[in-house]
Amino acid sequence: MTKRLCIHGLTVAGLLASVAVPASAADTITVASWGGTYQEAQTKAFFDPTAKDLGITIKQDTTNGLDDVRLQVTGNAVKWDITELGADECARGSKEGLFEKLDYSVIDKSGINPKLVHDDWVGISYTSVVLIYRTDVFGDKGPKTWADFWNVEKFPGRRALSGSQATETLSVAALAKGIPIDKVYPVDIDGALQSVDKVKGHIDAWWTSGAQAMQLVKDGEVDMASIWNGRAGTLKKSGAPVSFSFDQGVLTADCMVIPKGSKNKDVAMKALAKFVSPDLQANLPLYVDNGPANEKAFETGKIPPERIKDINSAPENVKKQVLQDPAFWRDTLVEATEKFNNLIQQ
Amino acid sequence: MLLSLAQSALPIAIGGIEKRFGGVSVLHDLGLDVAAGEFLTLLGPSGSGKTTLLMILAGFVRANAGSIKVGGEEIITMPPHKRNIGMVFQNYALFPHMNVFHNIAFPLKQRRVSATETAERVERALDLVQLKGLGERRVDQLSGGQRQRVALARAIVFEPRIVLMDEPLSALDKSLREHMQIELRNLHRRLGMTTVYVTHDQREAITMSDRIAVMNAGRIEQIDQPEVLYAKPQTKFVAGFIGESNFVPVECRNGSVWYEDRKLRMTTAAPSAGRHLMVVRPEKLRLINGEQSGDVNALPATVGDVIYQGDSFVCYATLRDGRQVTLRDYCRSDVLAKLPGPGEPITLGIDAQDVVLVADQ
Amino acid sequence: MSIVSASLDHAGRPDRALNADALAADARRESRGLLALLSPGLFLVFAVIIVPIGWLFWLSLFDETGQLSAANYARFFEQASYIKTFVTTFKVAFIVTGACVLFGYPLAYMLSQLPRRAASICLIFVILPFWTSVLVRTYAWLVILQRKGLVNSWLIDLGVIGQPLPLANNFSGVVIGMTHIMLPFLVLPLYASMKTIDVDCLRAGMNLGASPAATFRQIFFPLSLPGLASGVVIVFVLCLGFFVTPALMGGGKVIMWAMRMEQTTSLYSNWGAGAALGVVLLGFTLALLGLFQWLLGARATGVWSQR
Repeated sequence: MTKRLCIHGLTVAGLLASVAVPASAADTITVASWGGTYQEAQTKAFFDPTAKDLGITIKQDTTNGLDDVRLQVTGNAVKWDITELGADECARGSKEGLFEKLDYSVIDKSGINPKLVHDDWVGISYTSVVLIYRTDVFGDKGPKTWADFWNVEKFPGRRALSGSQATETLSVAALAKGIPIDKVYPVDIDGALQSVDKVKGHIDAWWTSGAQAMQLVKDGEVDMASIWNGRAGTLKKSGAPVSFSFDQGVLTADCMVIPKGSKNKDVAMKALAKFVSPDLQANLPLYVDNGPANEKAFETGKIPPERIKDINSAPENVKKQVLQDPAFWRDTLVEATEKFNNLIQQ
Repeated sequence: MLLSLAQSALPIAIGGIEKRFGGVSVLHDLGLDVAAGEFLTLLGPSGSGKTTLLMILAGFVRANAGSIKVGGEEIITMPPHKRNIGMVFQNYALFPHMNVFHNIAFPLKQRRVSATETAERVERALDLVQLKGLGERRVDQLSGGQRQRVALARAIVFEPRIVLMDEPLSALDKSLREHMQIELRNLHRRLGMTTVYVTHDQREAITMSDRIAVMNAGRIEQIDQPEVLYAKPQTKFVAGFIGESNFVPVECRNGSVWYEDRKLRMTTAAPSAGRHLMVVRPEKLRLINGEQSGDVNALPATVGDVIYQGDSFVCYATLRDGRQVTLRDYCRSDVLAKLPGPGEPITLGIDAQDVVLVADQ
Repeated sequence: MSIVSASLDHAGRPDRALNADALAADARRESRGLLALLSPGLFLVFAVIIVPIGWLFWLSLFDETGQLSAANYARFFEQASYIKTFVTTFKVAFIVTGACVLFGYPLAYMLSQLPRRAASICLIFVILPFWTSVLVRTYAWLVILQRKGLVNSWLIDLGVIGQPLPLANNFSGVVIGMTHIMLPFLVLPLYASMKTIDVDCLRAGMNLGASPAATFRQIFFPLSLPGLASGVVIVFVLCLGFFVTPALMGGGKVIMWAMRMEQTTSLYSNWGAGAALGVVLLGFTLALLGLFQWLLGARATGVWSQR
């Protein structure tokens, strides 16, 4: 989910948005997601079965995030009927009024964490920020907690944290101070910043994309890092000498919205209802490490039991992790991010 | 100082110069002596090697073999900046980022001449080339003739032992070129520097030079004073390249030279037996009456065409062997009176002393 | 010009102003024709440069609530990171431009002195990187420069160093990667201007007593300055707006202006926040170009007096 890789996406989206999208085919909707293997998995898990069930055509596009939605909505050139966003982006976009209201008589919200069910957005999947370390450096005695990560005497080595996702780094910084997982939210931002301040001199790279985080660990450029679990899983599967667990992970949700002004709102609503249904949600972990947002997916029996323990949103794993609160970051993101930037750019 | 180049002028002795460009030989065993203070012109068609020779003299092109001695000193391996040779380039090669003053001062600056002396000498050089007061001009503000003069001033301001000029007037229009020829000639007379001048313009060479070396295909065909070169060409190439020439085939046998059945009267000794060419300049031919008599050789011919050119006329005639010859004469009334018409038979006369023979190659 | 003025001067005197009106009309027609030819270009400039920049400027004056405000600009002073980013951006641009001159000048000089055939072959190698995406080239540098990359492995294997040198994910990584990417932008205009230098001017320099070094210093170098100036300006301006290489090679520690623009654009829900950054960069770039022009202008035209 290299959602912030390239600013040119803005321009491209702008250009595309200005080209009129044919609105005649009511049974065709366009869904935008992050692209890559994640979107391929979504295609198999959600899009193809939904298209088949509803007898509609689902066209796909990729998004760079909230900026793209804002550009389309404020420019009256909405070409997407459903798009995926990070939960904090959903919270912010909702505040800006960029989305259509969702009809929960069509969408069955049971099984989805209430924090991810809102008037105009709904959770779709989970990503975890986990601590990864190289086993060729530490054996199996690597840093297991964020406090370990912060402990540069006991665990000497090169470190990377996310520089672009301030919310995630501040969450792990709070954990590093020893705050229990159920007390992290609401985050004490100044306290978390102090915690970042303690470790920042030992950070060798502040990564700005998932691909970069993966590369840093894979090439041994760093010995430990915060990383998205999808990337961590890919690394492990590729045989890299790494270890990670969901202990003290930071669970961040992705959500889906219908951009305001969507021309196929009703069909989009039906499609979205399918996407979040336990049946299709249970498909997702078969293809990718991002866990389903609907916990009823685990009751469908579609997911093999030995697979369940590797899924970040499996009830067992959720207990070990902090759930990022989109509503909290909606109101504090700008201030926190600016302060975070001031700090790490010293 | 600037006007005293004559004392420092040095002779040049060039010998055994060989130059090949990628296997193609452009100069073969070339030798040439230039006297101190002499104005020598290398004349030849393009590709004859004259510019290559000049570049070797200046040090920009390395010869494959040979010797260049200036005043007895061997300079063939000396780098160009140590040769102390002034050069005027075909396109002037003025430095576009410097004004006239700094262009001319450039060689003095390299020689660490003091600022006051530099100013004086540049001033004098400007005066010499009649550009007084133009020192502050930018190069691109000058006319072609002015650039030419700046280039000249720059080439002589440091009192070089030798001055080389590579077709320096070729970019000028005709009237300016003729004017500059005279001026260069006069400047050379005043300063007396040893000068090697390259041109493909035979008229320019004749006007300016003490001696001319006619070059062809990497060799010097003949080297002589202009008037000798014109009057007594030693090869067909020289005769053809300098001035207009009619070539009449003649044969030498038993110590005499024969044109068809006529024995030629001539003032020089007959050459070796065999076929030769008689070089006949158009202005040396005359219209005569009757048979050859005294010291005049008569060539019977038929008039082809007569072209009136104001001060002179040109008569194209056909000899009995079918060869075309040209006759030129001034439009004096006595000549005009007996001017023949096309198709009329005439007799062309050439004085015995004007008969020049060259080998038929 | 003279035709027009003559017709105006003598408009009242029909005896001398033969066809004056017709000629003036003809001149006007010609001007209109030229304007018509220019108009597509002018329209394009207006549509893709003037309007968007004006729009950018306009947007930058409004805050999140749509009120006219200087908040977007005040942020530069309130948040220390903006000044830092700004300083970093110019520092990187200066160093990369300097490095490009250092490597590019000798390269362009060598190319300009080679025979035409050899020069065109070498030029292909200069241009070749253009055919590969910046992203790919930057990743290649990452592979070469990182701790377990080629350079460090070789140096350690050869026993030159004991610990890997920090070449990637920091400032030096950014400079190395960007220098490589920017080099052709300096070499190409420089090479073109060096090729126009008359060989006879250099010969004349040596003929007049300047050693090869002095000829280079006093003649070749000054004559190559216009090309150098345009290369420097191109590289510097491109550096100021560069994104990919610093983002990947800087390890998140070297934040340049374009990266900050992207961050700010996603962070704030109004376009003005990002637009203000664009306006500031544009302003500084223009000011700097003005300074270049003022410093190098006379030289860049290729004609000036040494006095």
